[in-house]
Amino acid sequence: MNSYFIGIIILLLSGFIAASFSKNFKTIVLTILSAIGSVFCLIPACNVLLGKDILVKTFDFNELFGAVNFVIDPLAAFFIIVICVMSFVSVVYSNGYLKPYLDSKNINSHLVFLPMLIASMLAVVTCQNALMFLICWEIMSLSSFFLVIFESNKKEVVKAGIKYLVFMHVSVLFIIMAFALLSIKAGSFDFAVFKDVLAHNKSLANIVFLLAFVGFGTKSGFVPFHNWLPDAHPAAPSHVSAIMSGVMIKTGFYGILRGIDLIGMPSKTIAFVVLTIAGISALYGILYAITQHDLKRFLAYSSIENVGVIGMGIGVGMLGMAYHNPAVALIGLAGGIFHILNHSIFKELMFLTAGSVYLKTHTRDIEIMGGLAKVMPITAILFLIGAVAICGLPPFNGFISEFLIYFGMFKGLSINNFEAVIVMLFAISALAFVGTMAILCFTKAFSIVFLGLPRSEKIAQVKEDCERIMLVPMGFLATLILLIGIFPQKILLKINKIVFSIIPSTSMNVWSGCSEIFMTILTIALVVGCFAAFVLVLVVLKLRLTKSKIQMHETWGCGYDRANNHMQYTASSYASPLLSMLKPLFKKVFDVEKPRKLFPHSAHFSLQFEDIEEAYVINPLLKIDEWFLSKFESLQSGNIQSYIKYGLIFLLIVIIGSLFIG
Amino acid sequence: MIMKLINLIILLFVPFLMMGLIKKTKSFWGGRKGPSIMQPWFDFVRLMKKDFVISNTTSAVFKITPVITFASVIFAGLFVPLASGNAIVNIPVGLIVFAYILGLGKFFALISAMDTGSSFEGMGASREACFTSIVEPAFFMVIGSIMALTGNYTFDALGKILSSAGTYGILIIVFTALVLFIMLLTEGSRVPVDDPATHLELTMIHEVMILDNSGSDLALLTWANGIKMLLISSLIAYMVIPSNVSDFVGVLLYLGVIALLSVIIGTVESSMARIRMSHVFEFVFIMSSLALVVLSLVMARMFGG
Repeated sequence: MNSYFIGIIILLLSGFIAASFSKNFKTIVLTILSAIGSVFCLIPACNVLLGKDILVKTFDFNELFGAVNFVIDPLAAFFIIVICVMSFVSVVYSNGYLKPYLDSKNINSHLVFLPMLIASMLAVVTCQNALMFLICWEIMSLSSFFLVIFESNKKEVVKAGIKYLVFMHVSVLFIIMAFALLSIKAGSFDFAVFKDVLAHNKSLANIVFLLAFVGFGTKSGFVPFHNWLPDAHPAAPSHVSAIMSGVMIKTGFYGILRGIDLIGMPSKTIAFVVLTIAGISALYGILYAITQHDLKRFLAYSSIENVGVIGMGIGVGMLGMAYHNPAVALIGLAGGIFHILNHSIFKELMFLTAGSVYLKTHTRDIEIMGGLAKVMPITAILFLIGAVAICGLPPFNGFISEFLIYFGMFKGLSINNFEAVIVMLFAISALAFVGTMAILCFTKAFSIVFLGLPRSEKIAQVKEDCERIMLVPMGFLATLILLIGIFPQKILLKINKIVFSIIPSTSMNVWSGCSEIFMTILTIALVVGCFAAFVLVLVVLKLRLTKSKIQMHETWGCGYDRANNHMQYTASSYASPLLSMLKPLFKKVFDVEKPRKLFPHSAHFSLQFEDIEEAYVINPLLKIDEWFLSKFESLQSGNIQSYIKYGLIFLLIVIIGSLFIG
Repeated sequence: MIMKLINLIILLFVPFLMMGLIKKTKSFWGGRKGPSIMQPWFDFVRLMKKDFVISNTTSAVFKITPVITFASVIFAGLFVPLASGNAIVNIPVGLIVFAYILGLGKFFALISAMDTGSSFEGMGASREACFTSIVEPAFFMVIGSIMALTGNYTFDALGKILSSAGTYGILIIVFTALVLFIMLLTEGSRVPVDDPATHLELTMIHEVMILDNSGSDLALLTWANGIKMLLISSLIAYMVIPSNVSDFVGVLLYLGVIALLSVIIGTVESSMARIRMSHVFEFVFIMSSLALVVLSLVMARMFGG
């Protein structure tokens, strides 16, 4: 356990050390130091997952916090591994990505906060004391805020950053409420004490879990608390978006899973609430992802979708627990946790490839892209692998976790209860809908960005793929995606272990059903492996055999031979049939100038989709808020005497108040 | 083992007969003699021998897509019960593997269409993607309801509707068959959703996506489409064929049902025109409403009095 703290301290210091070097060595020093720090943290985590005892380290802060326990149990170990590996990959990538920015005035603070974010996440997932947890959580939010506003000279970046900051503080408010309620009842800040209290008080457990779910759900990006995500991700540099989307939002899930661990058996109501919100998040996220034409904004919405899918897995698991069906509980939770791992890999890959595209094209607008596969072939292949994996298609890792979640839902049909069966059937249907829309969404993104002809001059000037230092980490992620897709067994075993540590084993025989899912997954892994091999053989055969038979010609334009790049289908036109069908779910903002006069003159058309929640809920609320707060504007006079007056009045109120309450 | 081999042969070669029979039926209703029932096979062989013309715009995606699509339907076929007996790979929730492997084929079909940079193919791809997203949820809901009803999570559930639901079962089978039939028309790109015989690119869906494919690529894609139709037809066949017959009778009955479905498809194509594109959604949405009907029937049977 000591090595874990050494790792965290190395990470904390690494930023300061790196910042003090001259500009050509900064990122390299940071990479090396964070590699060392990550290894120190990984060793105890791997040991725990491989079967060693749970590690505990207690610090005594006496009056302030009481005893502070840092614990590495299987759940924490899983998150530690995800955080260390995925963050390190991003840090390696930043060596290439930050090159054009090395003269920026924010580069030093960026290098300090990047490892600080990693360190604070590592602290969050091990800390078992409510107050200390909140402090680490706050450091995590703040350091990520400073990372988001890296390009602080741009107005929209700062705006997105402030929005992020506000959302994080609303979310932490809910977490504080949950912890406050608990610590009043328990008389302690320690999680273990919380667990005892919650075991005897089911109604308290419900309230606390719901409060914590809102708090942690905001961090994860569940609808309707998701609004910060689509703004913050495009604003941040790509490797930061990768860490935030791949790793940081998963700390919200850590909170939710820890919550399940603490409350023991969840009630049916909570399980239904979680499943419903997760289902809505998945549908909402993917629908809006289809509408977006900003490459990173679109990925952010896709994160919301995947958060929903993970949540659905967890919800199914909780429903299984609530109905005392161990197989459903096991498969659902295992699917959810597996999807956390998978999403962190492929979403990170997607953000990194998006970053490479941005670095080369200097734009995030996919409508003007096209044909990049010819000049950036490796990035294109990596993006394609990520896209196929994120749609949950075999033979990649997303398929295995989505399969588990589906499997949990189908198993849930055997719960002999009307509500449960209906909910499961609609959940299955919703997940199928999400899956097919994901295919639409990612075929759109891939084909508009990488295939066809360039849609603008800017894109046609791109000449080469990005540097090797950026390709290697992405290649590593793509390899992981394929390996997990074909050999999921080992990882599934470890994940089962995590689930067993969450499910209260006394009230459930969790082992039943375990062997069945294992056999099924084995069969599927085998079939998927054969499938991958079969495809590979066919592709190689086909390319070999037909080499001599190919003639090149222009695309068939149905008789018209002057087709040009502007006649290609665009992202908007590709998505239009589905979006016109689902019209009421969006707020469309048109900007049209029609050609009216006799002779041709300039005309344009653009269409933006606004987030319906932002347009109809958040903005009106903000308006009311603004109106209310403007009533107090006169208090801020700017003259020091009146501020002293306020201070005096406040003191008087406190004194008089304490006399009465006394 | 022999049965599995026969299934594999059926999977690979019956699609040609099926397409031939559809053509034959259409000629019959059109008052023509029509080509031989083996014509799709002859076309296939002819196409396999030809050279390709490939667009300058395309990347490697376009070249590898036909084999990926083909591989995906073959592997999806392993999870579906064909003539007599279980699926070749019979695992719980094989439905998911079936749908997602087909999904991979579709993914590549879509990006390959976009790869040519042709606006026609983009149009086809966008429509195909859209219709799929309506079809799949309804399909999953129907099969899920039946699995809930029979308590069996493999495709075998389809064969157990009658034994576990009694008279309700007949209604459930009828509605499920309707859902699957609409799915067959949509996924197989037949009239009234799509017209494989038309030459107007603007109104086509699947056919326009493969506008630039030629030679053996086109042959493979047509074959794959035929196999996909056979797979969905097999699901319908599996529901109606009694499970207690011998293998030989089972195969005969199966071929009979497939032939009947081909004749029905041919008759539908001869008796009605393609629906206007903006109304295709409404047609495909019938699936969703029928799926809800199946759902409520199952619920009534399971939890009703």
